[in-house]
Amino acid sequence: MGRKIVRHIIRVVPSLLLFLLLGLPLIVLLLQWLGGAERSVLLSFMNRETLLLVGKSLLMACSAALLATFTGTVCAFILYKLRFAFTGIYKLALLLPLLISPYIFAVAWKDGFFWLFGNNAAIYSEVGVILIHTLVFFPLAMLIMGSALSRIDASYEEAGLMVIPFGKMLVKIVLPLIRPALTISFLLILIFSLSDFSVPAFFGERTFTTEIFTQFSALYNFPLAIGQSVLLLFVCLLLMLAETRYLSDAPFFSVSVKGSGSKKYKMRNWQVFLHGLLWLLLILVLLMPVLMLVIQSLSGKALFFSEAWMLMRSAALQSVKLALWSTLLLTSVGLWMAYIKERLGNRLPNLLLLLTFIVPSTVLGIALIKYYNLPVVNFVYGTTAILLLAYLGKFGFIASRIIGNGIRQIPVSLEEAALVMGIPSWKIFVKINLPLLFPSLFAAFVLSFILSLGELGVTMLVYPPGTEQMPMKIFTISANAPQALTSSMTLISLAVTVFFIGVFFLCGKILFKKFRYA
Amino acid sequence: MPEITLEHIAHRYSSKQVLEGFTCSFGAGKTTCLLGPSGCGKTTVLRLIAGLEVPLKGSISIDDQIVSKNGKILVPPHQRKTGFIFQDLALWPHFTVFDQIAFGLREWKEKQVSEKVLGILELFGIKDQVKKYPHQLSGGQKQMVAIARSIVLQPEVLLMDEPLANIDVTLKATILRHLQSLREQYRFTMLYVTHDHREAMQTGDSISVMNAGKIEVSGTVQQMRESSNEFVKSFIHL
Repeated sequence: MGRKIVRHIIRVVPSLLLFLLLGLPLIVLLLQWLGGAERSVLLSFMNRETLLLVGKSLLMACSAALLATFTGTVCAFILYKLRFAFTGIYKLALLLPLLISPYIFAVAWKDGFFWLFGNNAAIYSEVGVILIHTLVFFPLAMLIMGSALSRIDASYEEAGLMVIPFGKMLVKIVLPLIRPALTISFLLILIFSLSDFSVPAFFGERTFTTEIFTQFSALYNFPLAIGQSVLLLFVCLLLMLAETRYLSDAPFFSVSVKGSGSKKYKMRNWQVFLHGLLWLLLILVLLMPVLMLVIQSLSGKALFFSEAWMLMRSAALQSVKLALWSTLLLTSVGLWMAYIKERLGNRLPNLLLLLTFIVPSTVLGIALIKYYNLPVVNFVYGTTAILLLAYLGKFGFIASRIIGNGIRQIPVSLEEAALVMGIPSWKIFVKINLPLLFPSLFAAFVLSFILSLGELGVTMLVYPPGTEQMPMKIFTISANAPQALTSSMTLISLAVTVFFIGVFFLCGKILFKKFRYA
Repeated sequence: MPEITLEHIAHRYSSKQVLEGFTCSFGAGKTTCLLGPSGCGKTTVLRLIAGLEVPLKGSISIDDQIVSKNGKILVPPHQRKTGFIFQDLALWPHFTVFDQIAFGLREWKEKQVSEKVLGILELFGIKDQVKKYPHQLSGGQKQMVAIARSIVLQPEVLLMDEPLANIDVTLKATILRHLQSLREQYRFTMLYVTHDHREAMQTGDSISVMNAGKIEVSGTVQQMRESSNEFVKSFIHL
């Protein structure tokens, strides 16, 4: 009886808590929109200008999603399906842009254009935003497509190759099998690009997301901002519906501890060309941005570096501290949500986290402000708790799925074997599940930390006074400061991120070796 | 040595009805083989007896004590004195051979645990593997560890779910002989699930042939050979 009650509490409490903390703010936002006193307020966003802006934003996001999905798929095929030297290093290096906040790329490419062409006017355009979004988001497509490609059983392809040529086999067998991954890759990047605030804001490009921010924060036109947020929310939800099941399981967010049984092909004649292609990408997404930041930082007065450090020091410390708290929260909640989905069959909290993950940062930010901006909950609104909640909404799904997919890899029979032997449930969890989950927990921890460290969209809206973060500091200063100072600050922010990625990478190497059993 | 009785059992997974009105009893101290094609409900019967599944209807009793009835577990799995050997063996990948066996002996003193574990490993001829992890063992050694892990707790009922499905014929015969001698030594009731009729003939004192969630025929090996049941005839190619 006691065990039943505990299981019930474990199942119900998180759903309720998540709903109250994150789900209800979105519902309140909808109600505030619906409850607008006049019809003109309710449909205030339904004017020609707004609809044109939506169209333009969708077109830009579609272009970025197409380009990024194509690039990511090509990279995934090269790195996951071909026998190729240094694939591990390429994978790691090409995934790095996903861990670096998009605004860093925006600043770097702004510098790049200035250095290459003498002015950076060309990048302050739709093309600039599409370029940066493609470079930032193609690793996500690579991750999703790589995961899908390496899950195809070798025998499917081999059976195909017995009767049809290689090219036809790719079209007739591989392509249909990876179709859900292709769709999800395109849709996720479309949603991310559509909802990104930082890059268009840095380039001064008017998109739907920046418009919502302007209406809310600069013009204080709350009804219009809410109306626009609701419209964007509906667009994202509609896009999400296409492959909800695949998306809610998110098999691409996983740490594989076993070697995959997928088929790999030899491509001897193409080796040089393929290495060249990957190097070109590496130059575009990593080497050039870093080089540009360094050059631009040094091009001004030498003083800028120390000035940048003085400006960034406290923000960097605040960011790291907040990221650590956020990581602890995300990993613990992620573990809880993942366990109740995979072992107790409660999918609701996971769906709620998926919803807040898909919702654009600006919309989530406005929903949180509208919900928590009350004296009675000022202990949330006026402190870093609001930021922690925002990060839980933004990244909780990623942490939960990484851990959830780890739990899926543990056969239920391992727990049942212990259960039959009379081992208590808590001991089964501590002695069997936790050690086997360690790689997934570690990956969730690292990703949560890095993502929290670089978040700008929602932070910009909800941060309480005295809690300025690194991305915020750079964003607010970039409008009026010399380019060299912004670049120096961005370089410091990048260095902090890379430092932690390096530390985690080293820790991971040691720990993964210890916790690898297969 | 308990007898196991299942009466009017109904069980389903989501929308799929696996058992309906299933009634059967398995003799005390005997080895009964549950033989049948894939998906006929053999594993479900084992899991119901172990308490890993709850029957929607009907009752299960072990040694005249009702352990599950009409959607309720009356005796939890660990109090049923059953051992379960899973098809995938369910060896914990992060435990050494010693830890696999010692894990269930939680109420024993450290010295006693050590003696007990080493004793059982010696009986199974794998004492020299004591510090190894599952991935460092051969297929046969893994089977031995899985069986030893269940036997060490001295179960009164041993439930085996096709544990020898993926090993060669010679090794299978050796392990089956070993199991028979263990059963005589420890005197437990053994329920052995398989879809291989030769394995069933070789292992069981009696055989129950299952088809689509029902027992078609039960009897001794000889009675099976002489059965006129069409399904039994076709399934075991007599």
